[in-house]
Amino acid sequence: MSQLLNSLTTELRRGTLTLAVLSQLKTPQYGYSLVQRLENCGITIDQSTLYPLLRRLEKQELVTSTWDTTESRPRRYYVLSAFGITIYNQLRAEWEKTSQELSLLMKGENHHEPD
Amino acid sequence: MNLIDMYIHEVTRRLPERNREDIALELQSTIADMLPDDPTEAEVKQVLTQLGNPAVLASNYRDRPMHLIGPKYFDVYINLLKVVLPIAMIITFIVLIGKIIVTSSGDQTIGAFIAMIISQTVWQLISTAMQTAFWITLVFAIIERTDKVADQIPVTMNFKTWTPDDLKQITPIPIKKRITKWHVFGSLLWTAIWATVYFNASNLLGIYNNRGQGLTFESPIFNQNVLQSYWLLIVLIIALEIALAIYKALKKQWTNKVAIFNTVTQIVALGILIVIFTNPNLWNDTFIIQFNEALSINKNVETWAAQTSRITIAVVLIFTVIDIIDGFRKARL
Repeated sequence: MSQLLNSLTTELRRGTLTLAVLSQLKTPQYGYSLVQRLENCGITIDQSTLYPLLRRLEKQELVTSTWDTTESRPRRYYVLSAFGITIYNQLRAEWEKTSQELSLLMKGENHHEPD
Repeated sequence: MNLIDMYIHEVTRRLPERNREDIALELQSTIADMLPDDPTEAEVKQVLTQLGNPAVLASNYRDRPMHLIGPKYFDVYINLLKVVLPIAMIITFIVLIGKIIVTSSGDQTIGAFIAMIISQTVWQLISTAMQTAFWITLVFAIIERTDKVADQIPVTMNFKTWTPDDLKQITPIPIKKRITKWHVFGSLLWTAIWATVYFNASNLLGIYNNRGQGLTFESPIFNQNVLQSYWLLIVLIIALEIALAIYKALKKQWTNKVAIFNTVTQIVALGILIVIFTNPNLWNDTFIIQFNEALSINKNVETWAAQTSRITIAVVLIFTVIDIIDGFRKARL
């Protein structure tokens, strides 16, 4: 039973990963700092998905990346592009709309339960 | 080489050359970020566990499917297999039977002959099925990987996404009008069998006798040289029957045209049968004498042959008429 719940939860969260990542890239982040920021907010993500996702976002021109070699070890920093900011804002609006609709739906479900 | 380098190598060797160095560098720096200074092997293993199977990580980087044929093409793939496989099998079967008829030496009994057909066709048929399935699968795997359109909406048989207009292309066939692929296969098999028997009649059709050493062939029913002299007409019927079977397979149901084609084939076949059976030299005299002795009938050889021919023609005539009428009846349903 808990395995079914696990897979349903994973499925539910999969689509929100891009949004979560985009939301943290207003300031430049490297891979592991991004993982930590997300984990601080309670979002655990599959790291084998995250690093390839960053590359894909770059290919889709939502983020840009640069190597920073000034610190002790070289790190690749990712940050939202102008296009990325536009898309992020639209996606965010979409998410808020969906989440409002869903909570309305689920409130309605509670409302009918006494029948 | 340490575990980390091995891990990075395992990932990057699966990636295109041009991305390897860059991704290796980034992975190196990410893994270092995740580890404390001077990590123990257990800590390294824990971090690598978090990154997961290198094959999965690499496939995420490649952004390529980890399946051979995905949901977009699966339905078309299966449907195409279902259409092409039986056709390929039937064609192979016909060609093989034809080859056996042409090359058979003609000194086997019926059992040995059937055994030979089975032993020579089964492996060829399996091999054809595997070849067909392999090439179709390969083509679809390539399409799957070269398709640049990112959507995963399944396509229909014409390789476009489904619209309600596609429903107009489907004409439902009533069960009674339907021509199944088994019917087509059955007719082709029948053609193959009678043609084989016809050209080998001197070894297959006749009196068998058991004289303590299993069945031995004694005397053939027909004079093979008479049968052989009609080869051109026989080839004509074979061609007509094969053409009819293919036409039926394409139409998938009884229509007036199918019924007319069927009528022509049946009448030509009947005509040729009459021509052959009215030849007075068709029956083998030795056979008639032996046969009459066996059943202790005392009849003139010529009378017996003429009577049996007439009965044969009459029986075939009845079945031909039934078959022709049945065809038109199904077409009108």
